[in-house]
Amino acid sequence: MDELDLLKKDWKKQEGSFQQISEKEIYGMLHKGSSSIVKWIVIISILELVLWASISFFTADEEYFKTLKMYHLDTVMPIISVINYGVILFFIYLFFKNYRTINTTDTVKQLMQSILKTRKTVKYYVWYNLAMTAFSFILVFIFQFMYDPNIRKMVEKMSQNVDPNTFYCIMLVVYAVIIAIFVGLIWLFYRLLYGILMRRLEKNYNELKKIDF
Amino acid sequence: MKSESEALFVKQLKENQNIIHKICRLYTTDEDSHNDLFQEITIQLWKAFPNFRGDSKFTTWAYRVGLNTAITLYRKKKRTIDTIEFNSTFHKVTQDDYNFEEEEKLKLLYSAISELNDIEKALVFLYLEDKDYTEISETLGISEVNARVKMNRVKGKLKKILNP
Repeated sequence: MDELDLLKKDWKKQEGSFQQISEKEIYGMLHKGSSSIVKWIVIISILELVLWASISFFTADEEYFKTLKMYHLDTVMPIISVINYGVILFFIYLFFKNYRTINTTDTVKQLMQSILKTRKTVKYYVWYNLAMTAFSFILVFIFQFMYDPNIRKMVEKMSQNVDPNTFYCIMLVVYAVIIAIFVGLIWLFYRLLYGILMRRLEKNYNELKKIDF
Repeated sequence: MKSESEALFVKQLKENQNIIHKICRLYTTDEDSHNDLFQEITIQLWKAFPNFRGDSKFTTWAYRVGLNTAITLYRKKKRTIDTIEFNSTFHKVTQDDYNFEEEEKLKLLYSAISELNDIEKALVFLYLEDKDYTEISETLGISEVNARVKMNRVKGKLKKILNP
């Protein structure tokens, strides 16, 4: 007998060997929480959406507007903020639109694709926010140098000892390093977080792609 | 409160629970993970049940949701994988037709299957369940030709292990 036929025969035979689950046990299971990766992705994604949206929202206090005025950014920043909120809302819409396409009755490949797509929306959302944060940092730094009287005083004082160009270069490098470390840490955090969640899915998806090129 | 659809679902699931047991059998290596995956598949089936319209068979539908859960949604809990345990405790032998040579072969086959990746396991599962290539391709979302090619490769791989 062929080995695989032997296996099939044994496979059929084991039907009776499984410990049967009672109706009562099934009822119990229906009300337990799922621990699927989709659930985790959705929880983390919603936290991210809320976190980044609230960062832009709660930093806008009176002090903030006074500072903006001092830096001559009081017309530019509100415009940027409005655009920013628009983009955030658009991402939230995209996220829920993609999330709704996740369906366990799809084919294995389609299901993986819709999960990956939903996850990608959040990834772009995070990158957008990081870019926006870096951009705002740079903008504020530049205008701080130009208009903040305290900084100007400090710069003048420092310039007596050091060549102004060298001083500006050093400051620029320091700022660049701060931004790079900030972005780098967040990037690392997401790599770890999603790396753990998505590793298996990505491996299986690549396996499917290898079969169906 | 048990609703009508809940009762219907539980009844159908109970009758067809061996499908899920068999999926768990392939994708887990110990009893705890088996029960864990069984529960997750049950939850996913229940969540998808409102969309089950009865135009396909409950079993066909359960195959798909079950495999999707095992391959894509289920998060394996950290456990040390013990393939020896897999062979000895899970492989129940009926005494009446015990054949030492066959038994050895089966042990080897099951341990070879446990080494396959998740997609290959799905192919083996659908083959063992006598599914045709149309259904296999529709379940996995790959073309029939490619499903056939891959299936032959997996079969070859298993045979080679037995006849090196």
